[in-house]
Amino acid sequence: MKHIPWDILLALFAGLALGLAYSWVISPLRVTNADPTALRADFKEDFRSAIAAAYAATGDLPRAQVRLALLKDPDPMDALNAQSQRMRADSDSFQEADEVAALAVALENGSGDIPTAIIATEVVQQVEDFFTETVLPPPPDVPLVLTETPQTIETQPDVIAATARATQTPVPTLGAPFTLTGQDNVCDTNLPDGLLQVIVLNSNRRQIGGAKIIITWEGGEEQFFTGLKPELGNGYADYMMTPNVTYTIQLASGSDIAAGLTTPTCQAQSGETFFGGIKLTFQQP
Amino acid sequence: MKSNRWVFIILALLAGIGLGLAYGWLIDPVDFFDLPPDTLRADYKADYVLMTAEAYRVEQDPGLAARRLAIFGSQSPSAIAASGLEYARAHAFADSEIAMMQELVTALQAWSGIQ
Repeated sequence: MKHIPWDILLALFAGLALGLAYSWVISPLRVTNADPTALRADFKEDFRSAIAAAYAATGDLPRAQVRLALLKDPDPMDALNAQSQRMRADSDSFQEADEVAALAVALENGSGDIPTAIIATEVVQQVEDFFTETVLPPPPDVPLVLTETPQTIETQPDVIAATARATQTPVPTLGAPFTLTGQDNVCDTNLPDGLLQVIVLNSNRRQIGGAKIIITWEGGEEQFFTGLKPELGNGYADYMMTPNVTYTIQLASGSDIAAGLTTPTCQAQSGETFFGGIKLTFQQP
Repeated sequence: MKSNRWVFIILALLAGIGLGLAYGWLIDPVDFFDLPPDTLRADYKADYVLMTAEAYRVEQDPGLAARRLAIFGSQSPSAIAASGLEYARAHAFADSEIAMMQELVTALQAWSGIQ
């Protein structure tokens, strides 16, 4: 039997260890081709905001779905709703928060017939098809475009000609208007006096976060949103009414109008009277 | 120990180092997470610029567009948008998309001049 060269094997393994230590710890490759999934959480939020803004501008839901799939969120709708609530809580731009919430609503309405699994497979496949690193040879009719690039002003007519696309759907479709399906006086001594509770549901009775609610009264108007108290539900919002003031409420995205809302007077078991509250439920048909 | 034995040992050590480097850099490089956006692949960056351009076309707010592009860090917003535009032209994006990105670049260049 031939003698095993232990010393050479030992040198080989030592070299292997040194090489791995250098390539993994001391000098790992610099990342220059990362996927959006590898982004830090706050940058992922920026990415979602950009997707929502682009969707708000173009109304192109399939493309927004493809872009969202790049982030590989377990549930893109939940991610968007949660982000919308965080943006409002952090007093970020309400417009951007609205765009994110609108995309979540559109996704919910638009993807009702599309199971998540399909989004996770077919859409990801689209993503891979769309984002290919292969450098495609330019089609025969395209290369001449390159000759125009130095002349920024010359491209202006193209810009003007293309603006027609923006008129397609400037505002995302949010689905059918909400109907007022419930309006109840609430007499509960455990709740604050004059508490107006609003619950917003979609057609599947799933609570919708980020819905803007407009409340008006004589000489005043305010807006508030569902989802700021997630512990009470994504579609929950509340407002403190002043006694003897009559309010009108509706959802900004379109709904029935709940008018003539005043703080009800309730009677406790002890016979004492107190101001109760009102609970409104809006739902998409 | 014979001197040519040492030669074999050194050769084995160098081969091991080479194998380790190849494995660590090419076959199974380190997985990174929590990365900044400037590490994104060029096509993703270009698509982000396109999203910003699509939004800009309706919002017409160069400051907001610049803020969106600022996540890429060190370059100026117009330079970032120009990089995206360059990629779009080189990879046969739709003419309408290139037009939107061009519009964004022009607007950001003008906006940078005002700042």
